[in-house]
Amino acid sequence: MRGKMDIFSGIISGFQTVLNPINFLFCFIGVFIGTLVGVLPGIGPVGAMSILLPTTYGISPVSSIIMLAGIFYGAMYGGSTTSILVNIPGEAASVVTCLDGYQMARKGRAGPALGISALGSFIGGTFSVIGLMFLVFPLAKAALSFGAPEYFALIILSMTVVTYLASGSFVKALIMVLFGLILGTVGIDSTSGVARFTFGCVPLLDGIGLVPMAMGLFGISEVLMNLEIMLERTIFETKIKNLLPNFQDWKRSIGPIIRGSFMGFFLGILPGPSPVISSFLSYSVEKKISKDPTTFGQGAIEGVAGPETANNAATGGSFVPLLALGIPPNISMGILLGALMIHNVIPGPLLISQRPEIFWGIIVSMYIGNIMLVLLNLPLIGIWVQVLKIPYRLLMPLILLCCLIGAYSINNNIADVIIMNIFGVVGYVLRKFDYEMAPLILAYILGPMLEAHFRTSLIMSDGNLSIFVERPISCVTLVISVILLLSTGFSYYRKMKGKVIT
Amino acid sequence: MDPNKSKYGIIPIFFWIGLGLLVMILSYSLNLGGLHNPGPGLMPFLLGFFLFLVSIYFLITFPYKKANRDGVVKKEQGQINYVRLCLVLASLFAYSLLFETLGFLITTLLILIILFRSTNNRWYAVLIASVLTALVSYFLFTYLGIRFPKGILKWV
Repeated sequence: MRGKMDIFSGIISGFQTVLNPINFLFCFIGVFIGTLVGVLPGIGPVGAMSILLPTTYGISPVSSIIMLAGIFYGAMYGGSTTSILVNIPGEAASVVTCLDGYQMARKGRAGPALGISALGSFIGGTFSVIGLMFLVFPLAKAALSFGAPEYFALIILSMTVVTYLASGSFVKALIMVLFGLILGTVGIDSTSGVARFTFGCVPLLDGIGLVPMAMGLFGISEVLMNLEIMLERTIFETKIKNLLPNFQDWKRSIGPIIRGSFMGFFLGILPGPSPVISSFLSYSVEKKISKDPTTFGQGAIEGVAGPETANNAATGGSFVPLLALGIPPNISMGILLGALMIHNVIPGPLLISQRPEIFWGIIVSMYIGNIMLVLLNLPLIGIWVQVLKIPYRLLMPLILLCCLIGAYSINNNIADVIIMNIFGVVGYVLRKFDYEMAPLILAYILGPMLEAHFRTSLIMSDGNLSIFVERPISCVTLVISVILLLSTGFSYYRKMKGKVIT
Repeated sequence: MDPNKSKYGIIPIFFWIGLGLLVMILSYSLNLGGLHNPGPGLMPFLLGFFLFLVSIYFLITFPYKKANRDGVVKKEQGQINYVRLCLVLASLFAYSLLFETLGFLITTLLILIILFRSTNNRWYAVLIASVLTALVSYFLFTYLGIRFPKGILKWV
C-alpha cells in the first residue's frame, strides 16, 4: 500500500514538474526534433542528441533530459514515416517497417500504415512507461546492495552484449570497445592526479570530451558518408487519406501490438541496441505465428504494427537500467547519462530518493511526450511529407553549421571544434572499414566507471582478483560475459536478421 | 563498401597492433603500481595488452574469413565524389583555424558558401542562403547566450 502511495505521489509531482511551462516546452521541442530527425535520413537520434548536448549546459537537468529523451523516442515515430512513404528507413529501428509499410503504400494504403504505426507506437510507448515505473523500484532497491565488484561485472556484461549483438564483425566491435576504453583514460587520472596520454596538450587534461567526440563520430562522419553519393529521394506520391485504421486493421494488429509491447519493453532492459533488435524480433515472431506468412513482405499490416510498437516499447525499457543502476544499456542512454553527468546528477539507486523531481519528471514527460507524438504524427503528416522533400544538398550545410557552433559553445573553446573534426574523420575512416561507432562511444562513457570500480574492488580485496568470483552476482555476471565472448558462430540476432531480409 | 577494398581491411589491423603496443609502452612509464595498489598506468596497460592480443588474433584469422576472400558487396554505390569530400573536410578544419582570427560572421559566411556550392546549388541561391543562414544563426545563437568572437569585425 505504501509503495502504491509513493508511486501515486511521485506521479503527481512528476506532472507538476512537466506541466511547468518551460519543461512542457522542452518536451515539445524534444519530440518535435525527434520526429524531424526520424523523418530525415542523414541524421539519426544519436546524432541529434549529440549535436544538442551543448544546448543543455544552459538549462536545468530536468529540462535537458526531458528534451533529449523526447528526441530518442520521437525518432522512433518519425522513422516509420520515411520507411512507409519512401522505402528508406529514417533510422535503424524502422528498417523492418520498410518491408510491409512501403508495400501497403504502393497499394494505396499509406494512410492506415502510418496510422497503425503511430497508434501502435503510442500504445507501446505508454505500456513501457508504466512498466518502467513499476520495475525500476525493485531493481533500484536490489542495486543498493551492489558494490564495486558487482558494478564492474555489470559494466563488463553491458559492453560484452553490445559487442555480441553488433551487426557486423564481432572482433571489430571488440576492438572498438577496447579503443573506446583507451580513449576514456586520456586526461588527469582522478585517483592519482597524474596526466595520462595528454602529451602536454592543455585541452586534453580534462579528457577528450564526450560532446565533441560524439558530435564528430555521429554528426560529422555521418554527413561525410552521405556526401559520397548524394542520392535524391523519390517520394511515393499518393494521396494520404483515411489515417485511421479500420476495424479489420485493428483486428489484425491488436495481437502484434500486445506482443510487441511486451517484447520491446523486456528487450529494452537488456544491453544492446534494443529498439533495432526488438523490431526485428517482433517481425520474425509475427511472421512465424501468422496464419498466412506469405502475406508478409506484400503489405501485411501485422508487419508494421508489431515492429513499430516494439521499437517504441524498447525506449521505455532502456530507461530501467539507466535510472535504477546508472548503467546505460545502449548508446542513446549513454548520451543521456553523459548529459546527466554534465549537470552533476548521477543516476542510480539513489536518484529516486535524492532527486525525485528528475526521476518523476522523466517518467511523466514520457507519458506526455507520447501523447504529443500521436498528435504530431497523425494530423501533421502532410507537413512531414513536405519536410521529406527538402533536398539533402540544402540540409547538409545546416547540419554541419549546427555541429560547428554546438562544439564551440561547450566551452567557448575552438579546441573542441578541432577535436570534433578529428573524430569526424576518425569516424568516417572507421565506417569505411566497417567498424561500428556504438561500441566505441559506449565504452568511452563507461570506461572511467569501469576503472574506478576495478580499482576500488582491488583495494577492497587487498589485490585479490578472486573478489570478482567470490561474490555471487558478480561471478554469475562475469560468467555470462565470458560465455558470450567465447561463443563462436552466428549470434541468434544475426541469424534472425538474415532470415528477415531474405 | 567497395568490394575490391575488403582485402584492404587488413590495414587497420596493423594500426590496432601498433596502438596496443604504444599504449602498453606509454602506460608502463606511468607507474603500473600493483594489484594491491593499482597505479594510473595499470588499466591502460591492460587495455593496450588486450587490444594487442585481439588484433593479433584478427590478423591471424583475417585470410580465412570468407567475406574478405570473396569481397562482399554491401550496397549499390556509384562513383564517390572525393573532391567534394576533401573540400568539405578542408573547410571544416579551415573554419576552426580561422574562427577566432576572422570572427564568426566572416568564417561562417565563407564556409556556408563553400558547403552550399559544393553540392552544385546555383550561385544566386548559394549567396542568398549563405548570407541568410549566417545572419539568422548569429542572432539566434547570440540570443541563446553563446558569445562569438568578432575577429576582424571588432574594428567595425
